[in-house]
Amino acid sequence: MSRIGKLWPALAVVAVVSAAWLWWSAGAAPERAPRRHVVEIRGFQFVPPALEVAVGDTIVWVNRDFVPHTATAANGGWDSSEIARDGTWSYVVRERGRHEYFCALHPTMAASFTAE
Amino acid sequence: MTIRLIRNCTALSLLALLLPGTLAYGQTRTAAAPSLNDPQIAHVAVTANAIDIELAQLALSRASSSEVRAFAQTMVTDHTAVNEQAAALARRLGVTPEDNDVSRSLRDGAAEARRNLEGLRGAPFDRAYMDREVAYHQAVLDALDQVLIPGASNSELRALLEQVRPAVAAHLDHAKQLRAKLGEGR
Repeated sequence: MSRIGKLWPALAVVAVVSAAWLWWSAGAAPERAPRRHVVEIRGFQFVPPALEVAVGDTIVWVNRDFVPHTATAANGGWDSSEIARDGTWSYVVRERGRHEYFCALHPTMAASFTAE
Repeated sequence: MTIRLIRNCTALSLLALLLPGTLAYGQTRTAAAPSLNDPQIAHVAVTANAIDIELAQLALSRASSSEVRAFAQTMVTDHTAVNEQAAALARRLGVTPEDNDVSRSLRDGAAEARRNLEGLRGAPFDRAYMDREVAYHQAVLDALDQVLIPGASNSELRALLEQVRPAVAAHLDHAKQLRAKLGEGR
């Protein structure tokens, strides 16, 4: 048997695996570019109070009130510290799941986002 | 108990002056609500903020609970911001806030509350201060809804009062939450 002939089974396996990978990647959902979401803080509320995002997206909080607020994770994982009037703070979402947060200065202000 | 009675009476005396038909000291009040012009409404708003800042400053030096001190600091920050807004608006409109019976009543009530709080230390101070904050913010919220906002003629003054309302409501909810957490010790 020629040298090529001896390699034929290995080449066949590589071809099949490559074809399978191409077929799978074409059928899978295309990766979407990270998005930017804005949460306005106004009237002592987070607007919108709930948000659907993806891991890698950025959430920007904009404080439209005349007093400082914070966006603080209920589980203590992240904290904006004080966002001044007309100030902004952004966070890149790193974990899937439901994330609850509140204003540490006015703890009755609470909201959440869910990351897919 | 004495403190609580005084606190309630202070809040009710404010309400009695501002709101018609409010029960004060067990009596039914039938007099009409005071009619306030815009400079007087501005004065009431500024006075109400200044009073809460002064009591918060007392709490910052007396409170034993870190959460109560944090609440007091928020009161200083937020009510100072409101008064800066009010002062800027008054300058823009060329209005001089005008003293009146409601403002005087607020100041009298605040002086009484301060006298009572100054006699307390530690956890009893924390509870009495938060009791006062609950009653005071409730009274101010009622006054905003029933007298001050509907009574303001100037649209910018009314807009400012409407902007302040959610702050007072959030402070009230926060105060209630914190007061409940402090429990009922003696």
